[in-house]
Amino acid sequence: MASTAKNRFSQDEKRRDSDHVSFLKHRGFRWLWIALALSGVSIAGYVLIDQQPRPNGGSWYGYTLGTIGLLLIIWLSLLGVRKRRINPGAWSLKAWTSAHVYLGLSLVVVGTLHTGFQIGWNVHTLAYVLMLLVIATGIYGVIVYATLPASLSANRKEMTRAQMLEALTAIDRQLESAAQPLGRAEADWVIAALAQDTFHGGAWGRLTGSYPHCATRRALRGMPQGAAEERVIALLEKRTQQLAQIRGALRIRALLEVWLFIHIPLTIALIAALTAHVISVFYYW
Amino acid sequence: MAFLIRTIDFTAAGREIIRDRVVEQTSLTIGRAAECDIHLPDLAVEQRHVRIDLAPEGTLSATALGTLGFGLDGRVVTQGTIDPRTGGEIALGAARLAVAREADGAVSITIRQVADDAGKTDALRGFALASALPSKRAMSWVFAAAILLLLLAIPVSSHLLRTPVKPDPKGETPGQVVLDAAWTSGALSLKHHSLEDNCESCHVAAFESVQDETCVSCHEDTGTHAKMPRLAKGMPPLSPGNALQWQIAQGFGKEGPLGCVSCHAEHEGPVRQKPASEAFCADCHDTLDTRLTDTALGNAHDFGKEHPQFRPAYFASFGAAKPVRASLDTKPVERSGLIFPHDVHMDARGGAARMAVSLGQYGQPLECKDCHSLTADKIGFKEVMMEGACESCHSLVSGRGVSGFTKLRHGDVQDLAEDLSRISSGPRVRVGPVRQRPGQIGSASPYRADFGRPVRAYIGLSNALSPGGVCTECHLPTRSKGQADLMPVNLPDRFLTRSLFNHDAHKKEKCTDCHAADTSKVATDLLIPDLKSCRDCHLGATAVKTKKIVPSECAMCHAYHVPAGQWSPKGKAPHYRPAPPPKLPIKLAPDKTTVAVIARQAKP
Repeated sequence: MASTAKNRFSQDEKRRDSDHVSFLKHRGFRWLWIALALSGVSIAGYVLIDQQPRPNGGSWYGYTLGTIGLLLIIWLSLLGVRKRRINPGAWSLKAWTSAHVYLGLSLVVVGTLHTGFQIGWNVHTLAYVLMLLVIATGIYGVIVYATLPASLSANRKEMTRAQMLEALTAIDRQLESAAQPLGRAEADWVIAALAQDTFHGGAWGRLTGSYPHCATRRALRGMPQGAAEERVIALLEKRTQQLAQIRGALRIRALLEVWLFIHIPLTIALIAALTAHVISVFYYW
Repeated sequence: MAFLIRTIDFTAAGREIIRDRVVEQTSLTIGRAAECDIHLPDLAVEQRHVRIDLAPEGTLSATALGTLGFGLDGRVVTQGTIDPRTGGEIALGAARLAVAREADGAVSITIRQVADDAGKTDALRGFALASALPSKRAMSWVFAAAILLLLLAIPVSSHLLRTPVKPDPKGETPGQVVLDAAWTSGALSLKHHSLEDNCESCHVAAFESVQDETCVSCHEDTGTHAKMPRLAKGMPPLSPGNALQWQIAQGFGKEGPLGCVSCHAEHEGPVRQKPASEAFCADCHDTLDTRLTDTALGNAHDFGKEHPQFRPAYFASFGAAKPVRASLDTKPVERSGLIFPHDVHMDARGGAARMAVSLGQYGQPLECKDCHSLTADKIGFKEVMMEGACESCHSLVSGRGVSGFTKLRHGDVQDLAEDLSRISSGPRVRVGPVRQRPGQIGSASPYRADFGRPVRAYIGLSNALSPGGVCTECHLPTRSKGQADLMPVNLPDRFLTRSLFNHDAHKKEKCTDCHAADTSKVATDLLIPDLKSCRDCHLGATAVKTKKIVPSECAMCHAYHVPAGQWSPKGKAPHYRPAPPPKLPIKLAPDKTTVAVIARQAKP
């Protein structure tokens, strides 16, 4: 009984410890070593096998590498399915993610060797390039996941996203009453600022943080100095600051997420291109 | 100091009710309790929730009275400062208290109830990048559908729906399959370039590898190296990987490792098809005798290290019907039927040289090219004809005719007999002026004819054909059918029948560097250079190239499909034309390769 309890304790401790280990360092970089071994073996085979007349995806070694690559790609793309199933244990999501990252990187070696360095304008190279793009965006994703969350938290200044929007709404309500004494032209500036969508600017604006059509800033620029305008200007400045915080959050969020908008569709495109690649190769055998 | 407290309510009909009251205090309390200065009947608000104090400098400080904070400009705080000039908004439950300075200097607090923000969670979605980009799922579908349609469905369907046409190596009919250019794994070799847009001319059926019969439908004259079972027997065992691949591939109908495409790999770029490498030949020929125990071929893997001695074809006996092949190591004796000492003719100070100097045709001692001239393809030599090569010295002039000298015809003993008999019957040339006497009509008469037996001609013919006669200067006398005759001259057109030697490629060398003609005293010397003399310059493919040493692949002299042909050498373009395939009177069955070719090429 005691030993069970002790086991339970050590098990829980182990789990708690592992909960705080990055997926990159999972189990002492287990999957990094496996991926390195796969790459090393692939390169050694490529170098040692004297394929005549030249290395080619259609040699027995080429087929071997191609099969490994295809199975890896299918398995890697199943991360999207796996992450939607919550279950603990040996096949933990962290282990999957760790393997996903490292085996995905080893695909660069396996896939490149499978091409035999024969590149052209065809469906085969299309699949290869799509694979490289997916891997490149994946590398970007790992980097931003490791670096950006800290700045996201710094940008929040202890405010939730809802509070940021709430603050903007509060400023807007005040702005509306403060703008009552203004003339027509000034009032129109304020209306434009209030009417503009908080999230306007599109994906490019979010990624670059550049909002050339910001109505709030335009209103601020157009507002003349005067007793009635003083409070409006002060409120518009507050609005600009609040917008800047929101846009900072948007920018970091966009940088964190943008790779997925390439990674996922290109993965599906890659699977389609791989299907065409495999079928066409044997259709015109 | 006063606070102007303005409460805005709405009637059920939506009409706005505004109530103003002025509180003359420097501090206000806000809460659910009735005694508060601002009473908010909202369960989300504490009994005494916030106190607002007017600071001396004109700012307002708001402090939570309990542990629960309050909203100040959207942020939940327990303590905050409001500058009435810019204003601020305090949120307590559903009430929003807007703080501002009025024109008269009083601080106004406007209280209004807001509806619960139902769309808040929707608004939060705006933070996700997904709100600014097309959905990942939609993009995935579009990309995948475009790829599958353009790169798979269209080529496959147009291939299945086409009406197959005959192979068209000249590329005159356009390709029938649409968009299959995207399937090519690389450009075709230069010779097949015209088929670039016509994939289906080689890839005839779906999921069927390129078949030998498709290749042969154009390359119908291509001979095989040996019969297929024998080739298979001579092959070394495949590596486990290759063996497995072939086992699987053959299970799916691919031709075996001896099929055309296993060597002639296509789609390797717009290059010339490369000749087989030394390693390719050595794969089988290195230890061929261990697998083909009955083979007459010696093992070979590297010209400089292991290559059998040359076995030229030559006539080993006088008047033989066919040449035989023998290794040069056995010191073969050639029975061509000729008497020809090369050394006498090539001695620059000998009689032949002196004679040549005196003749306008030569003007200098004899050289090899005076008798031996290259064929048009610059590979071999033309047949040496007596009339052009020998006759200016070894004259057969027999007399003076109307238009010059008459001569005995060469080549046929019958012709010689005819010409000799004519000599004896022709009018005698007078040696000096002789007075004609009456009644003397014999030989001096213009009407004289001797119809008797040409006895003198028989004697002349007999003299010519017997030892010491004019014919036996070069020919061996013999007898056939009881008559005096000459041994027929037998020389093969080509001595090295299983490889190709290009004389034009060696024109920087002197003939005597390889052919020991200047020391050859008899015609029975077979003047074909041996392996050792070739190795002075030619070593195997792995040899280091120097000014003298030429690394030599097997394909420099040998070809796979035509034993006596030659593959164009490595490099960009050949510096001489490769040999045309031998023109054979009868089309060879593909598996008839060796002996028949030699026999036909040898002069009977």
